[in-house]
Amino acid sequence: MIPIEYWLILSSLLLAIGVYGVMTRKNAIVVLMSIEIMLNAANINLVAFSSYYSSLHPNLGTDATGQAFALFSIAIAAAEVAVGLAILLSVYRRYQTIDVDKINILRW
Amino acid sequence: MDVLQYAWLIPVFPFIAFILIALIPKRTLGWEDGWGYAIAGAGGALVLSSLVIWEVLNGHTLTEDAPRTTWLIIGDYEVTFGIWIDQLAALMLLIVSIVGTLVVVYSGGYMHAEGETRRRYYAEIMLFISVMYGLVIADNYLQMFIFWELVGLCSYLLIGFWYQKPSAASAAKRAFIVTRVGDIMFMAGIILLFKYVGNLDFAVLFDINSGTPGAPTVPSDILILSTALIFGGAIGKSAQFPLHEWLPDAMEGPTTVSALIHAATMVKAGVYLTARTYPLLVQTPESLLFVAVIGGVTALIAASCALAANDIKRVLAYSTISQLGYMILGLGAGGYLVYHLQDPNGYTAATFHMMNHAFFKALLFLCAGSVIHAVGTNDMRLMGGLRKHMKITSTTMLIGALAIAGVPPLSGFWSKDEVLAAVYHAGDLDPIFLLLWVLGIVTAFMTAFYMFRMWFMTFAGEARSTYHAHESPKIMTIPLIILAGLAITSGFALLAGDGFKAFMELPIEEYVIPGHESTFDIAVEIFTDPLTYVSLVLAVVGILLAYRMYYVPGFDRSIFARGAAGTMQRALENRLYISKFYDDFAYKVWYGFSIVCDAFDRRVIDGAVNGFSYLGANTGGVIRKAQSGNVQRYASLIIVGIVILLALLLFVVPWGGW
Repeated sequence: MIPIEYWLILSSLLLAIGVYGVMTRKNAIVVLMSIEIMLNAANINLVAFSSYYSSLHPNLGTDATGQAFALFSIAIAAAEVAVGLAILLSVYRRYQTIDVDKINILRW
Repeated sequence: MDVLQYAWLIPVFPFIAFILIALIPKRTLGWEDGWGYAIAGAGGALVLSSLVIWEVLNGHTLTEDAPRTTWLIIGDYEVTFGIWIDQLAALMLLIVSIVGTLVVVYSGGYMHAEGETRRRYYAEIMLFISVMYGLVIADNYLQMFIFWELVGLCSYLLIGFWYQKPSAASAAKRAFIVTRVGDIMFMAGIILLFKYVGNLDFAVLFDINSGTPGAPTVPSDILILSTALIFGGAIGKSAQFPLHEWLPDAMEGPTTVSALIHAATMVKAGVYLTARTYPLLVQTPESLLFVAVIGGVTALIAASCALAANDIKRVLAYSTISQLGYMILGLGAGGYLVYHLQDPNGYTAATFHMMNHAFFKALLFLCAGSVIHAVGTNDMRLMGGLRKHMKITSTTMLIGALAIAGVPPLSGFWSKDEVLAAVYHAGDLDPIFLLLWVLGIVTAFMTAFYMFRMWFMTFAGEARSTYHAHESPKIMTIPLIILAGLAITSGFALLAGDGFKAFMELPIEEYVIPGHESTFDIAVEIFTDPLTYVSLVLAVVGILLAYRMYYVPGFDRSIFARGAAGTMQRALENRLYISKFYDDFAYKVWYGFSIVCDAFDRRVIDGAVNGFSYLGANTGGVIRKAQSGNVQRYASLIIVGIVILLALLLFVVPWGGW
């Protein structure tokens, strides 16, 4: 059994990578991909804590709540990507660019 | 049927005429643009007034038990409208109804050339007469004050009748604003009385400090203050010094309006108020002294201003102020006599003079209107020789001038003599009345002089400019003849029947010992009193002086251009600089104060408001830079915020022990 700390370090690294990507990349598709990475970091946490909880209470049997949540999360992420890509597509049609630095008209 | 119960209908007649003239469409109005309706309204009021006066002459009055109607209820106090018909109100009804009706009749000729604007004129005249009746029959101070203000409004409208002329518009404003100073004092006096008594009905107020059970008591200093303040209203309305300057300016209105204002309505309201307040005034000798001094000073100042005026209407305006001064002086001195000796002579003399003055002053104004109608100017220097062309006007005006100058047996002689006798008599109580008597006697001399100066300049000698004078139409001369008849005969009211004195002392009978003189005794007293001959001689000297200076050719008037006489002449022509003082006060002191206020408003008040708005705008200008529209910066800020929050939760909160 892999200790919980390893999973948490992995998910923290993935989250950090995702945050870095959201903050720095100019291409909106890469930003969207970075958001997916951050979501997956959260999913790993959910699964890891689910398995950890079961190992702490062996008399309760296997608890799959966290894993079920991870599945919901993946499904929602798929929908979110579809919406996000559709927005980016119409942004591209309008401005001929998907550079997030250039799409800044919603301001003072 | 008791006519007095229906006295409240008197103001209703002219009011209905006012409504009809104002509302009936122009095409169907007809009747000389409302003249007919005005005659009907004034005539209806005249008929009903006559019936009421007849009842009062027969000894019936309707005062404390008159019908009332509740208008408002404020807390425990019911504001009522009612009627109060005593001998004083009847006297005023007589004046207003006769003079008002004759002025309306006369207007048919005088205003004939005005065309369609007459509709406005007749409507306003009707309202004016109506509210004056309302004032006369009021039975409490609040009702009186409401009509008092309406009288002021109507005078504003009518003085500014030719509002296209800037001078008329500003004269109307001046009349309105100057009288408003007095009105505010009047209101303050009423409020003061209301604070202490809780009621404004004459029936309650006239019982103040009477000692009868249930009568309200008021501290004497408060009573002095409130009567002085109420008299302040009369100072404004009756154009007493120092608020008299609006009246000569008010000559900008049509002459008929001047006649109405001077003889029957506006300025008489002030004297009427003072006479009406008598039951309170006679308890406060301090206020009475104030009243008398104001009256005496006004009489002299106004008479001296009239000496040098060249505008025929302005001479008459100053003479009105001067005569009003007589009435006020008579009321002040008469109150002193009542206070000390229970002697009603001053009161009866002043009200007698009020009646006689109404007739001869209306006559003089309507004559002046007739002259202006014929010549087309107000300036007496451009007239002269009109006697040949205008026989009726010149004769009736001569009667008016003789009456006001105090030549027996015309009306002015009797009442002026009575007023001066009362003032002289009050001199036994306080020597200041002897001084006021001297002012009065000098005024009598001046009055005779300037009235005949006016008459000689207008009617005698040769024409000084080219004009085609003609006698006025009958519709104008008949009122003149009627008024001339009244100016000759109204003085005999003193001797008719039981005499005017016995009649007029009834409103204040609680405060006086009724005189039991027969009218024969009164006549004997007048003709054996050396003071009568003093004033008579002075009047004759004044007339002769005017004759010498303005009728006999060859009088060298250049002495009035040099030296002391010149200074005097210039001061009088400039209305003793009183008007100039007010103008300077307004332009310099008040305007300076206004500049300071304006600067305070712009700099301090506006500065504070603008400062706050700048603060908000500039702060916003700085803070809005955060809204860059760059989503990655927002994301970075969110993350920084989360990190800070986490750091706080993980380290600072446990360390602080929360």
